[in-house]
Amino acid sequence: MNRAASKPSRRSVLAALGSAAVVAGSGCLRRARNLTGWESSQPISLRIKTLPTDADPYALALARRVAAWFRKAGIDVDVLPMAEQELLRECLLRTEFDMFVMRLPERFRDPDALRTLLHSRFADAPGWQNPFGYANLEVDEALDRQRTTDGQDRWEALASIQRTIARTQPFTLLTVPDDVRAARTDAHPNWQEVELRSPLGYLRLERPQDAEEPSTLRVVGTDRRGTTNLNPLSVEFRRSGVLTGLLYDPLTREIDGETTPWLASSVSLSAESPPTAQVELREDVDWHDGEPVTAADVAFTYDLLADTSLSDDDSSVGVPSPQFRSRSTLVADAEAVEERRVEFTFEDADPSVAARALTVPILPEHVWRERTDDAAIGGISLGGVTEALVTNNIPPVGSGPFEFVRNSPRERLVLRRTEDHFSTREGTGLPDWVGRAAIDELSISVVGSGVTAVETVVDGDADVTGTAVGAETVPRIGRATGTELLVERSDRPYVLGYNTREPHLDNPRVRNTLARLVDEPFLGDDVLDGYAHAAVGPLHETDWYPNDLMWRDENPVVPFFGEEGTLDVSAAREAFREAGYQYEDGTLVGGGP
Amino acid sequence: MSLLDVLTHVVAVVAVLHIVGLFAVRRYSGAPLWRGSLRRNVRSVGPTAATLGALLVANGAVRDVGVELSWIIGVNVTGAIHAIEGGFVADLQSFATPELTAYFSFVYVFGYVFLLTFPVVVYAVHEEPRPLLATLVAYALNYGVGFLCYVAFVAYGPRNFMPGAVESLLFTNWPEVQFLTSRVNENTNVFPSLHTSLSVTVALLAARYRAVAPGWLPIAGIGAASIAVATMYLGIHWLTDVLFGALLAAGSVAVGVRVAEEKYGGPERQGRSVGVAGGVFEQFRR
Repeated sequence: MNRAASKPSRRSVLAALGSAAVVAGSGCLRRARNLTGWESSQPISLRIKTLPTDADPYALALARRVAAWFRKAGIDVDVLPMAEQELLRECLLRTEFDMFVMRLPERFRDPDALRTLLHSRFADAPGWQNPFGYANLEVDEALDRQRTTDGQDRWEALASIQRTIARTQPFTLLTVPDDVRAARTDAHPNWQEVELRSPLGYLRLERPQDAEEPSTLRVVGTDRRGTTNLNPLSVEFRRSGVLTGLLYDPLTREIDGETTPWLASSVSLSAESPPTAQVELREDVDWHDGEPVTAADVAFTYDLLADTSLSDDDSSVGVPSPQFRSRSTLVADAEAVEERRVEFTFEDADPSVAARALTVPILPEHVWRERTDDAAIGGISLGGVTEALVTNNIPPVGSGPFEFVRNSPRERLVLRRTEDHFSTREGTGLPDWVGRAAIDELSISVVGSGVTAVETVVDGDADVTGTAVGAETVPRIGRATGTELLVERSDRPYVLGYNTREPHLDNPRVRNTLARLVDEPFLGDDVLDGYAHAAVGPLHETDWYPNDLMWRDENPVVPFFGEEGTLDVSAAREAFREAGYQYEDGTLVGGGP
Repeated sequence: MSLLDVLTHVVAVVAVLHIVGLFAVRRYSGAPLWRGSLRRNVRSVGPTAATLGALLVANGAVRDVGVELSWIIGVNVTGAIHAIEGGFVADLQSFATPELTAYFSFVYVFGYVFLLTFPVVVYAVHEEPRPLLATLVAYALNYGVGFLCYVAFVAYGPRNFMPGAVESLLFTNWPEVQFLTSRVNENTNVFPSLHTSLSVTVALLAARYRAVAPGWLPIAGIGAASIAVATMYLGIHWLTDVLFGALLAAGSVAVGVRVAEEKYGGPERQGRSVGVAGGVFEQFRR
C-alpha cells in the first residue's frame, strides 16, 4: 500500500510499553510478549494509477468511476494520474502500484500471448510479462498445454484458462472502446475501409483522383513519445507499434487474417517435434542505410531478443527484451545457413503457435551489435539493463516501407516512403494495394489534447488524428465540413490491473468481489458515450472464446452488485464479510484476527 | 489556425489594449506619463532585466529537462490536492455560462499578457526607476520559485483529473489556443498557478506605487481577481494552486519592493492615508 497505515501498529505501541514494563515486573512483560503476536485490523486503502485526460480520453474518467464504486463499498481509494511513459515505467518495470487503469496492447488478442501475460514464470519479468504477479498452478499448466496442442485440445485448455481468469480476476476488463478519429474526406477516398491501428492501414490508403505529387499524409496526435524514441524494444515508449511497424519489417505479417511472407519470400514449417522452419529472405533488400539485409541479421535479431546482452554465459538468462517476449520465447535457435536462408528450431510448440515467432521486427546487426553492453549514464554502468533496451534509436535504421527523415522532439516526426521497397516490386505475392504507395511522406505532429487534434483536422492543417480521441469530439467532427468521422472497433480493452503481490489484492476472493463492484455496460454508456462494448476476457469475439463467457445482460461470472451503475451497498458489504473482512464505521478493515 | 496565427492575434489585441490603457491612464492622472527618462530607467534596472530575461530564456530551454527531472525527483501531489479541496473547481464551473466562459477565456489569454506587460511600460517611463526595479525583481522571483516548484511537484490540473465533473472550458471552446499554451507550459506544471501569482504581483505593485498611474490600480485589481478566478473556472488550476500563487506573489512583491527601496530609498511620504493595501505593505517592508 502506498500510504502509511493511519493507526500505529500494536507492535510499536507494545515496544514502547515494553521498556516501561521492565520496571513493572516480569509478569507484565510476559503478558506484553503474548500480545505482540496479534495484529490489529487496518483500513484498506488502495491507489489507482492511470493516465491524465490529455493523454487518454477515458482512462481517468474510468478510474474515477471505479474508485467511486470502491469507496461506496468502504474502501479508501485514490486516483493518481501520470504521464504514459511514467505509468508504464512504474507499473510494468518497477511494479510499484496497487491497481492501474490502462489499455491492454493489441497482441493479447492472440491466445498464446496470454502465456507471458499470466504465467507465474513471468511474474518477475519486466514489461507486459505478468505485471499482476498472478500465480495459479492450473492456469500455468493450461498455458503450457495450449502451446503444444491444436484443435479441440487447445481450445479446451484456453477455455479453462479463460474461465479461471474470469473468476480469479488478475485484472478486470472494464470496457472495449471503439476508436474515434477525425479525417479529411478529400485527403484519401477510402478512410472507412482501412484500419489505422495497424501499420498496414497506412499502406492501404488510396490516393485521391486529383492528387498532385508527392503526397504527404499529415497525422496529428496527442502521443509525443514517438518524436523522441523509436526503439521497438522500448517498453515505455510504445503504444500500438504503428510507427516501428512502418520502419521495420518482420519475416511474416498477418494480412487480412492470413499469415503472409513479408521480408521472407517463403517460409516452410515442418511439423516435427519440436517444429522447425526454413525461411528464405527476399532478394536485394537493403537497410535504410544501404547495407544489405542478410540471414545473419535475422539470426542476430532472435539472439538479441532472447538476451540483449548476448552473453556467452549459458548459465544466466541474461537480459531478454521485454517487448516480443511471448514470441521470442518460442524460438530455441535461429541459424543463418546461407546468405538469405535462416533455419529456425522452435521450442516444443504446435507449428501454428510457433509461426507467431516470425512476426517480430528484424533489426540490423551492424547497428544493434554495439548496443549489447550495460546501459550507462556518464560512464557509470547501471547493471541489469542493456543499451538496446534504453536507447532512443534515433535515427532508426530499418528496412520497412517507410524511413526516418527527421524529428523535432515533442513536436514532429517525418517519415518518407522507402525508395524501391520490395513491397512495391512486381511478383511479390503480396496483395496489390501494398505496392500502390499512395503516401510519399508521413508527417506526425503532436498537440496537447484530443480536442485540439480534432480541431487541427477540421481546420485543414492535418489529414487525420493518429491517436484515438474522445467521444465528446464526435459532434464537433459531425458539424465540420470536409471532415468525416471514423469509428473503428478496437482490440485494446481498458483493464483495471491488480498487483497481486500486495496484501488483500493477493486474495482471489477479494479481487472477485472487487470485480463485482464494477458495472461494465454503465461505464461504456456513461464514460464512453456508448462507443464501447462490454466483454469478460481479452479473447472475446475470437474463435477461442467459450460460449459461457459471452456477455448476457450482465457479466456471467462476476455480475455487478446493483443495477444501472448504482451499487447495492449491502450486497457488496455482505460479500466482503463473507471473504473474512469487517466494517468499522462503514470502512472496510482487514488483516485482523 | 496555426501557432503563428494565435500569436499574431495575441500580439495585436494586447497592443491595442496598451494604446487604450496608456491614453486612459494619462487622462485619469491628468499629468503626462512621460515624466522620466526611459534611457536612465532602463540603464538602472539593466542587470535585473537581464537576469529576468535570462531566467525566461532558461525557463524555455530547460522546460523539457525540468519535466524529465520532475518525474524522477518530484512528488505527484495531484491526489493530495484533490483530497484537500475536493470538488471546489467543479462547483465553480456549475455557474458557467457562455458569456462568462468568453470573458474568462479572454482575460486568461489576452488580459494576462496585457496585465504583465503594461506596468513594465508605464513604470519604464516613470520619473524614477524604483517601481520598474521592484516589478522586475518580483517577476524574476515568481518565475524562479515557480520553476523550482514545478520540478519538486508533479500535479495535473482539475481538467485532467476530473473529466466529466470539470470541463476543459478553454480548450474545448478555443482549441487553437492550446498551440500557444502547450509551448509555454506543461500540463503537469499547475502547482502553483503562475497566472495567479504574476497577476497578483502586478496588482500588489499597483497598490504600492499607485501614485505613478492612479487609474491603474482598479484595473490591475479587477484583472488579477478575474485571472485568478479564470484559472479555476476554465478547469486549469486548483484552488490550492491559486492560493499558493497569491502567497508567492506576496512574497515576491515584498522582496522586490525591499530591493528597490534599499537601492533608491523609500518613497517620499504622500500626504494622504496609506490605505488597506498600503498598510499591508508597511508590514512587508519590515
